[in-house]
Amino acid sequence: MASTSSAGPSVAVVFTTKTPYPLPTQKFMIPASWKRFHLSQLVNKALGLSTPIPFDFLVKEQVLAASLGEWCAENDAHEETLEIEYIESILPPQKMAEIPHEEWVSSVSCKLQGLFLTASYDGTVRAFDYSQNETIKIGLHAAPITSLCVVSSNEDNHLIATASHDLTAQLSHISTDGSSSKSLATLHLHSEPLSSVCANVTGSHVLTSSWDSIIGIWDTKIPSVDEVADEPLGQDRKKRRKMETDKPKRKGPVGVLKSHTGRVSRVLFGSAKQAYSCGFDSTVRLWDLDNEVCTNTITVSERPFVDLALTCDGALALAASTDRSVFMYDLRAAAATGTPSLMHASTPSCIATSPSSTTQLVTGAYDGMVRMWDIRSTKTAMSTFKPWDGRKKILSLDWQRGLVCIGGEGGVEIWKAAEESTSV
Amino acid sequence: MHSDEEGDDEAESDGDVEEFPEIDVGSDSDGDSEFNSDNVEGDLDEEEVDEEEESDSDAESLHVFPRAKTVTSDITGQPKRVYPEIEPDYDSDSSTEEAPNRVGNVPMHWYDDLPHIGYDMDGKRVLRPARGDELDKFLATVEDPSAWTSAFDKNAQTDKPLSAEELDIIKRLYDHENPDGNYDPYEPTVEWFTSQVEVMPLSAAPEPKRRWIPSKWEKKKVMKILRAIRAGRIVPNKPKTSSKRTQLYDIWKSDASTTLAPALPAPKPKLPTNAESYNPPEEYLPTDQERKEWEDKDAEDRERDYLPQKYSSLRLVPGYDRFIKERFSRQLDLYLAPRIQRAKLNIDPKSLIPKLPSPNSLRPFPTYKSLTFSHPSSYARCLSVHPSGTWVVSGDDNGIVSLWEINVGREVKRWKFSGKIGAVEWCPRTDVCYFVVGIEETLHFVIPPNLPAAVYELTYKLLAPATLPPAPETPSPIKWTTASSSKWTIDTPLLSIQLSSGSGLPRQIAWHRKGDYLSTVSSGAQGGVWIHQITRRHSQAPFKKIRGDIQLVRFHPTKPHFFVATQQYVRIYNLAEQTLLKTLMPGIKWISSMDIHASGDHVIVGGYDRKLCWFDLDLSSKPYKVLRYHSRAIRSLQFHPTYPLFASSSDDGTIQIFHSRVFSDLMTDPLIVPLKILRGHENKEGLGVLQVKWCPNQPWLVSGGADGAVNVWCS
Repeated sequence: MASTSSAGPSVAVVFTTKTPYPLPTQKFMIPASWKRFHLSQLVNKALGLSTPIPFDFLVKEQVLAASLGEWCAENDAHEETLEIEYIESILPPQKMAEIPHEEWVSSVSCKLQGLFLTASYDGTVRAFDYSQNETIKIGLHAAPITSLCVVSSNEDNHLIATASHDLTAQLSHISTDGSSSKSLATLHLHSEPLSSVCANVTGSHVLTSSWDSIIGIWDTKIPSVDEVADEPLGQDRKKRRKMETDKPKRKGPVGVLKSHTGRVSRVLFGSAKQAYSCGFDSTVRLWDLDNEVCTNTITVSERPFVDLALTCDGALALAASTDRSVFMYDLRAAAATGTPSLMHASTPSCIATSPSSTTQLVTGAYDGMVRMWDIRSTKTAMSTFKPWDGRKKILSLDWQRGLVCIGGEGGVEIWKAAEESTSV
Repeated sequence: MHSDEEGDDEAESDGDVEEFPEIDVGSDSDGDSEFNSDNVEGDLDEEEVDEEEESDSDAESLHVFPRAKTVTSDITGQPKRVYPEIEPDYDSDSSTEEAPNRVGNVPMHWYDDLPHIGYDMDGKRVLRPARGDELDKFLATVEDPSAWTSAFDKNAQTDKPLSAEELDIIKRLYDHENPDGNYDPYEPTVEWFTSQVEVMPLSAAPEPKRRWIPSKWEKKKVMKILRAIRAGRIVPNKPKTSSKRTQLYDIWKSDASTTLAPALPAPKPKLPTNAESYNPPEEYLPTDQERKEWEDKDAEDRERDYLPQKYSSLRLVPGYDRFIKERFSRQLDLYLAPRIQRAKLNIDPKSLIPKLPSPNSLRPFPTYKSLTFSHPSSYARCLSVHPSGTWVVSGDDNGIVSLWEINVGREVKRWKFSGKIGAVEWCPRTDVCYFVVGIEETLHFVIPPNLPAAVYELTYKLLAPATLPPAPETPSPIKWTTASSSKWTIDTPLLSIQLSSGSGLPRQIAWHRKGDYLSTVSSGAQGGVWIHQITRRHSQAPFKKIRGDIQLVRFHPTKPHFFVATQQYVRIYNLAEQTLLKTLMPGIKWISSMDIHASGDHVIVGGYDRKLCWFDLDLSSKPYKVLRYHSRAIRSLQFHPTYPLFASSSDDGTIQIFHSRVFSDLMTDPLIVPLKILRGHENKEGLGVLQVKWCPNQPWLVSGGADGAVNVWCS
């Protein structure tokens, strides 16, 4: 140990990890000038790995960016033994493609293999294949679409749901080649613009949330006749009559969830019969869909939530709030409590969690920055990247198959982001 | 004396008597020296000495003792020794004794029944003297002048006249004097011992032993005390209680300076300036003209009493010619200067800062710019936030009104009007949804898109009723026109109110809280205040004539009161009774903005002269508090409808957020805490932030600026 401290001061360090490459628990004296690269080399050598694996190092929930000595000076930790957790390093995201849009893109989805679905403020849903060709373009809504989700898909035919400012959500059928795309049903319940729509895994049910503080539960069976009477609306009646033949069926909800006191900004399906929602009334609510009751309410004072996401194992709920933080709720705990963390420079508008890793997530903010986080490092983001040079707002994110799809003011950008293979 | 006499009587030959002359003889040789040294002996000894001297003279010739003769007794026939009669002379002890009776000190009544009263020296009977009766006594007192000085002699059983000495003694005793006539109370002191104490008396006496052996007596005494202490009979040194001791106090405790002014410090002499340096910088040196001017002036008129001079080194500086004069004037200063004591305030500056709660404890309030909606190349002059807090309409000088969502900032709909947009306001009603746009001489009523069917229906019916209400009796110059249903689209206003020509741009649109009345203030010459009623489609001017140029109007949130701000005053009218209730005098030269607290009891007024006045309507017509925090004119003010906040915006490009807690009890003053200055708007042509509006149900602020940006500030 004395040999390592040949030059300059040294720091006592204990390494821990949850990766499959553990080091023996032992105190190392490491020169304070060492940085991530040196530490990574040290771990690699100590493990004797045949192919070097880059590691990132977390000190007290912070990614080690500078040298150890600088970290100690910043945090006033000179004497203590640092406990450093190392995780497998992830390559910084790389920009793959840019798909410009004329309008703001409010929602993106790359859940379908080979397709990027985008919903934009002109009421149009577009689909792009991987060579960035627009394959589908259907104007579903007369008003801006706020949210889009894929309900079910088989081969080339997909069922998507869209929520819009025109107070309805729609179930639409699209095919990959764009030959037969049409709206199947409009969902009528809400009296204010809809904020989000989501479908469960099997595609049997859809949830919609709206600014009028209610959440609608819908099944995805397309009725043969209108379930809801047509609105006695003067203006569009003539137009509608013209399109009478292939007019989408008007559909009513299966159930309604009422408990929020403000705008509901996001609703998500949890496990089988559960749903989560967050709203501007500073609450995150857990719903029992069978009984249509709210089973748990997590209240935080004065923090309107704009987006909600669940980690892939469903253990953690992450809610982005307008006070520029993301709240983390451990849902497995009996009384779920949250801690504010992941501080942003601007309003975080959207969250997407990694489809495979339980610890990774990306957030997009109004300052045009997409931040990649690891929940073990809540103080600083693991990496930050700027679509559209960081000048345009980011409104939507999706992360599937190693691709982060970013929708916002400037259209859509696709970034490649590696996911950490979860060893859990 | 008596004992001597008795001895003499009983024993004829005494040993003592025989030895007597021998002692005298022995002491003969050094009689004189003895005499001197033994002065202490009394008078008696002197007498003895006298006797001795006499006996000395004829020691051998004279036989002292009487010689007995042996005679044959006549009676018995036996020889007996007869002593000669005692001749009491100076040899005898009782030579001076005259008294013949030698009975001694026995009670004389023993001799009462006897003819004699005792025996004389020779043992012969002393016969009782004859005593006269009482009459004789009386006669004696009359005849004998010395009778009263005689006393009864017990021994002689007769009256004896007192001698002159005795009388003298009696007299002295009466006078409380010393009975001895020879006694001189004033005789000079005989210094038996010297009164002067020698410091170190010389003594040849050896040091006594007691001086260096420990005293047994002292040891005994100490041991006694020790034993007593051990036995507990003596409690050693009881702790002295403070109460027993004399109370000590600090006589200097009270500050004497409170009554007595402290010595005044002398005024400080002025410190020398750069110009007084021996080597001042060039700019301090006077030019020739200045030098001449200085020399021409009288000494009293000179600005300074010296001319700066430059020397290249200190060595070259000559003697200071004005030294004496300067010292003298300094002395004059010290002597004549009025000594003003300037009370130096010894106040901690922190204590002067009012105790305000920390802004962190007053969260939430807007802290950062969440998003910006921009009106390119124009002023975002007016904006309004929908009562639900979701939509914002903003109008600019190019005639564009944009509807956008507060949380995303995406423009949903845009309307184009001709000319500047003067004011935009949402209708406060929740069952209908429309907003009013004020442009040059016209008000337009616009319905936003994507309304629920019921709300849309109601709004449409309200603005374009199927049957028009009856026209008012008096024709009004204000024309209400509804777009025909066939022509109308959502892009055009459904209802328009044509204000009187020449009224100019509506400066402000103020809604009554119920959403039926709205009031407009026009800026033009023919303008003024109009109150429009939507349901009756009727407009009226509440004031026929009003003093001053009306800047703003407001409806009271609860009462039928109407606030009218002219350039300098705010007048409060009761609309129901049509009376003037109150005039507020903010002391602002030109009022720019005004808002009323939701409770209706507090008003804030802002002015172009940077002042912000808070009025408590219950208190007075003068401001409760005047805040001058902006560096440029205040443009807009608004109270938050639900949170205890208000914001003010100014031409300096900043928005200031204040916490304003209003208490329901009348005793507590409103709490106003400055919270945050929001910067982010750019100044353009001297204009800054033109309007601020709160989001009704969130602590969010929307601000429109001259830079064309409408910013949303989130907590």
